[in-house]
Amino acid sequence: MLKIEQLAAGYGNIKALKNIDLSVPVGSIVSLIGANGAGKTTAMKVIMGLLKPDSGQILFKGQNINGVATHKIVSAGLSLVPEGRNILCRMTVLENLEMGACQRRDNEVQADMKRIFRRFPILEERKSQLGGTLSGGQQQMLAIGRALMSRPELLLLDEPSMGLAPLVVSDIFKVIQEINQEGTTILLVEQNVRQALKIAQYAYVLETGKMILHGQAKDIANNPRVMEAYLGGKKVG
Amino acid sequence: MDFLLNPYYLQIIMFIIINAILGISIYLTMATGQLSLGNAGFMSIGAYVSALLTLKAGVPLYVAVPVGGAAACLMAAVIGIPTTRLRGIYLAIATLGFGEVVRVVILNLTITNGALGLSGIPSMSVMLSKVFTAMGLAAGIGGMSVRQLGNISVIFILAIILGFLVFFALRLSTSRLGRAFAAIKADEHAAEVSGIDTRYYKLLAFFMGAFVAGIAGGLAAHITFYIGPKDFAYHRAVEILLFAVLGGSDVVWGPLLGSLILTLLPEVLRFATEYREMIYGGILVIMMAFRPQGLISEDTLGFWQKKLMSKSEASTQGEISRRTTR
Repeated sequence: MLKIEQLAAGYGNIKALKNIDLSVPVGSIVSLIGANGAGKTTAMKVIMGLLKPDSGQILFKGQNINGVATHKIVSAGLSLVPEGRNILCRMTVLENLEMGACQRRDNEVQADMKRIFRRFPILEERKSQLGGTLSGGQQQMLAIGRALMSRPELLLLDEPSMGLAPLVVSDIFKVIQEINQEGTTILLVEQNVRQALKIAQYAYVLETGKMILHGQAKDIANNPRVMEAYLGGKKVG
Repeated sequence: MDFLLNPYYLQIIMFIIINAILGISIYLTMATGQLSLGNAGFMSIGAYVSALLTLKAGVPLYVAVPVGGAAACLMAAVIGIPTTRLRGIYLAIATLGFGEVVRVVILNLTITNGALGLSGIPSMSVMLSKVFTAMGLAAGIGGMSVRQLGNISVIFILAIILGFLVFFALRLSTSRLGRAFAAIKADEHAAEVSGIDTRYYKLLAFFMGAFVAGIAGGLAAHITFYIGPKDFAYHRAVEILLFAVLGGSDVVWGPLLGSLILTLLPEVLRFATEYREMIYGGILVIMMAFRPQGLISEDTLGFWQKKLMSKSEASTQGEISRRTTR
């Protein structure tokens, strides 16, 4: 569904991504893992058209989306849950969700809204509350809900576990799996490597802008280098 | 009655309405979080274009003023397309520079009569007085002279225009467009990934602000008989921004209140004219320190709404408790 070839990008003189390749097959969950500053968020920004790449190709459903404006990428079927959630704090939960559907002109928006409320009942309970008054986990749910409102075929999640309690994190990961089972392809960027590898089929490891490793998620989890660097030990349960 | 219809007071009311229209123009631009100091420049374009049209080409006023607005809008396209890529303070600097460029160009053109400015611009109130005289009301009506009648009708017309713009701005904030504006203002990044074409909406807000400022300029020119490049200098740009800073830019009522206060203030402080700019500066500093959101914010409206509601609730509750104690 998404294919990235020899992508390089950066900020001025700093090269954040050095010729990376990545592919996300239809219907899968692919994880992109790496430490701080590895270039994960940069990769997300480039895919969404928020940052222009220096070179390389990004193909979405076979079409080059390199250099296309963000709102057109969204309408093509890509959606991002941004790092740090970027909730519109002074708008209500309902307005936040409506914002996700801002490009849609069909009349199934209400039905989709109901579906999201069924998935996250807490959001329905708090629908007239301001986004900023929600807890971190609820904000993450809202951010995911908002991204789903544009009916993406491929959902990008940038560190959905950031700053959340462990119990909430496992909830969020469960939801990500459910969304995937309902037919949405997922590219997941995470620092919580253990969880990310548990739900993904395929994984890429990014280190200082280079793709140092990729393979089946199980193999990556058992890779001694990954174990040592990210999983804090030699044995994985 | 005569005291109230004093031309001096009538003129102040006209200026209040013109400034309120300018307040709406800055509100529209700021609705997307863009800090523009170019609205004085757009106002001057509207003023000069419409004044030249009525003065030199004899175009009727009701055509000249909208054309002035359109000219301002056109200029907004020329400078907006490159500058709306800029954010925050950079946009402010660029638009401030634009305003100065417009002023200097006006100062040096022959058609604008350079530093002398344009005088003898057909006045709206004189035009209306003539209409009334032609209607056979030369002696005035209800104790009002034809002059006063003309002035009052001008105020009436301005009030209708202002009313329409306020209505438009209020409708805007609950519309799809207004929501997109608000989202961009709140978090441009989030708006962008939600699929909002931020560039388009920012430009649109910029255009709307420029158009309204141009209209205000055209109206102002036909009230004061005279416009000169000095009227649209740096202090004008800051004054317009102050409407929003003082009143608040969250809701339409903010810049409206700001423009009312800042138009009345110099009249009240006539004895301290030389210190006017200093007082403005002081107001800015105090506002930034103690109430950066301006006098009226969304919370203020909510607070008063709640207060009024709870008052009526309390009174009904009081009645109930009185009844139960009996």
